[in-house]
Amino acid sequence: MITMPRLLTPERQQRSDPAGGWIGIAGGVILAASAFLPWAYSFTALDGMTLLGYPSPLQYFGMVLGLLVAGLIICSRRIKPKGKKIRVGWVRGAKAAGTGALVYIAIIILSIAVELGGLINVVYGGWIALLGALLAFAGTRLMIPDQPPTLYQAQTRPWLEILIIAVVMGAALFATAFALNIDDGGTFVSFIAFLGTFVAVLFRVGVMGFLSGVSQRHRKVLILAAFVVAFLFPFTQGGSDANMSIATQVIIFAAAAMGLNITVGLAGLLDLGYIAFLGAGAFTAAVLSRSAFATADIHPPFIVVVLIAGMVSATLGLIIGSPTLRVSGDYLAIVTLAFGEIFRITMINLDGEAGPNITHGSNGIPAIPDLVLFGFDFGDPHVALGIPLGRFSNYYFLLLVLIAFVILVFVRLNNSRIGRGWVAIREDEKAAEAMGVNVFGLKLFAFASGAFLAGVAGAVKAHQDISVTPDQFIFLESAFLLAAVVLGGMGTVLGVLVGATVLKLLPEKLRFVSDFRLMIFALLLIIMMRFRPEGMIPSQRRQLEFHEEDEALAERIEEEVEETGALKGAGVL
Amino acid sequence: MTTAVDASGVSAQADGSPILVAENVTMRFGGLVAVDSVNLNVSRGEIMGLIGPNGAGKTTFFNCLTGLYLPTAGSVTFEGALLPPKPRKVVIAGMARTFQNIRLFGNMTALENVMVGRYCRTNTGPFTSIIRGPKFHRDEKATSARAQELLDFVGLGNTADNLARHLSYGDQRRLEIARALGTDPKLLLLDEPTAGMNPQETRQAEELIFKIRDQGLAVVVIEHDMRFIFNLCDRVLCLVQGRVLIEGTPDEVQSDPRVIEAYIGTGPADAAELEEFEEGQDNA
Repeated sequence: MITMPRLLTPERQQRSDPAGGWIGIAGGVILAASAFLPWAYSFTALDGMTLLGYPSPLQYFGMVLGLLVAGLIICSRRIKPKGKKIRVGWVRGAKAAGTGALVYIAIIILSIAVELGGLINVVYGGWIALLGALLAFAGTRLMIPDQPPTLYQAQTRPWLEILIIAVVMGAALFATAFALNIDDGGTFVSFIAFLGTFVAVLFRVGVMGFLSGVSQRHRKVLILAAFVVAFLFPFTQGGSDANMSIATQVIIFAAAAMGLNITVGLAGLLDLGYIAFLGAGAFTAAVLSRSAFATADIHPPFIVVVLIAGMVSATLGLIIGSPTLRVSGDYLAIVTLAFGEIFRITMINLDGEAGPNITHGSNGIPAIPDLVLFGFDFGDPHVALGIPLGRFSNYYFLLLVLIAFVILVFVRLNNSRIGRGWVAIREDEKAAEAMGVNVFGLKLFAFASGAFLAGVAGAVKAHQDISVTPDQFIFLESAFLLAAVVLGGMGTVLGVLVGATVLKLLPEKLRFVSDFRLMIFALLLIIMMRFRPEGMIPSQRRQLEFHEEDEALAERIEEEVEETGALKGAGVL
Repeated sequence: MTTAVDASGVSAQADGSPILVAENVTMRFGGLVAVDSVNLNVSRGEIMGLIGPNGAGKTTFFNCLTGLYLPTAGSVTFEGALLPPKPRKVVIAGMARTFQNIRLFGNMTALENVMVGRYCRTNTGPFTSIIRGPKFHRDEKATSARAQELLDFVGLGNTADNLARHLSYGDQRRLEIARALGTDPKLLLLDEPTAGMNPQETRQAEELIFKIRDQGLAVVVIEHDMRFIFNLCDRVLCLVQGRVLIEGTPDEVQSDPRVIEAYIGTGPADAAELEEFEEGQDNA
């Protein structure tokens, strides 16, 4: 790891601590107060920061950060630990808030400058805010950091903990809805910076440790709450289908990535042609649909189609897997890469000229009708609880069921005899074989079950996207799926959900990300590989595998194992 | 269960009937003959020692027995049936092994390591795992209970939740034995079980191997520690340059001049090994 040169040695901090506290408080107060001043010259920048006395949402967030810095410093001075074991990381939190505030204000000022053309458009309030943030940053840097927090040991009454889960989930829903409704790129980035700072402060103070304890004690409630929140999401959209369209894309992508996570994250097999399985499912569903261009004469009900699509993909997985899984890593990557391309080209060639007409070649199969399940037409908008829900909302609900199923399969396979076999194979294939683990069979199963889930997701995708063409299933898509798994965290549910969201949502929300998305994601991946190879939210086992020499980490995880009795394979969920 | 290790149907102690018969096993790597027409008979409840200087082909012979290598010639019969040359099938047939250089699953806990050993004796499939019916919970419970029992048996009962790579060297060797026992073997192959151990740990290992034998299992041990092997084994087979030099009781083997010669005569003699050998003789 890169270590920063230490300007502030502990001795210096010892001397500067009282002054640092005062500077930090002053900075925080100045930042908070500046929210009432105009920051930008024109109303078109960000969310309009030109009014005196009426802060915009972003200015309110700035105020929150300022108050956080001041409040945390005051808490650290006032609330002394009274011999109790549970420590709170006030100063750590203040430092995170100070740093975050500076980044936040810097992003806002830069955004104003970019959107209006030059720093000249930043009005005095903005500069005062920057001054406050600088003071907050510098002041908190001068302070002595406190001991690591032990808030994770805290426990409170069960009903209160469940209430906390509900509140956190509600806040997450609100924040997501708020973020998705932001149209302006600069505002979006600023809001993300604010959220990031806020979460970082929670981490440093130790609240996140407490929350993770709470979520472990009430896993079922947490999972239920997560799905309730996901279910409620369309109702926050006020009838607009724009965000719902993105949300459905994200979920399909996440479901496919979760299937890939079985292959890559659990069994440790590199699959570079995974998108072909999604494509196989989509084409199967399209061919069997009631589209005028469908080439099959039979049109089974959708439930059957889903199963067939899954089976077709799984069979393809078996066909490609059985000869190749006997070879090791690099060869497998090459073969799967080739397989992905073979699939795409085959789909192009099944056009009636080069081969039988199944897919109409590169035109694909358009005009796939909307799903009708139990008399419910997914194409029709309807009104629930007084809120209009559009076509994408309908698919969103179906996809929630789909991803719940995928997550269930993933988690339960992971925490079973089969999952143990996969870990053993990842650890030492030869030893696993010598201990009677069916290495080849388990690898093949990982391949086929991942393919099955992708096929199922593909079947829904076909109907939601209306048309299926071969060029939807290019190598780049496989690469993005793999990136979602690697970025989010191999072998975890939450990690892949986060990875998929980041990779799908950012290009939709930020023009400049979508223009340079390859470059940005490549850089992101390189940075991740250097500093956090196990991904954003890794499974504990993967974390151990990537940090063989980090004994502190291993001991921490071991302590947790002794408390809970199991290694957390699948992360939070 | 009264005994910690249930020898799965093998009630017999040393009843003399052969469990493993290797006939004329030969292994060639190109022009090099690593193992040359080696015959080996192991009876139920017997501890068999395999000694020989470095490079004598002991581990290669082991690998031929356990299906890691397919012998160039010869046959390996286990309980009267020809052994398939697949490590997994060999384990299912009832022969489990440990490794010379410890090959545990380092990032799994001790208990999980042994549970992996149970893999081939359980059959919880994907559908059972996903649906999580009563069978799943019954199987999981039985697997972990048995694994804990085996950990207790080898004396690692209280390290169940420790990561395998955090165990001490001696404990790792014992965990490897527990993992191998998890496969319900009738014959256990131990490749240098005391390498790198201090005298006290070696004594513990010796006790453990006796305890395993007393459960009715046959044990084959490769070892360099002569004192250890002559104390432990019922019969000893000495390999030199891939050939059987002598096979017999420990007394017969250690008094044979050719054995001493083999140890001195090979290349630049390993002084420590020689010393150990002589020490073993003095003690016997």
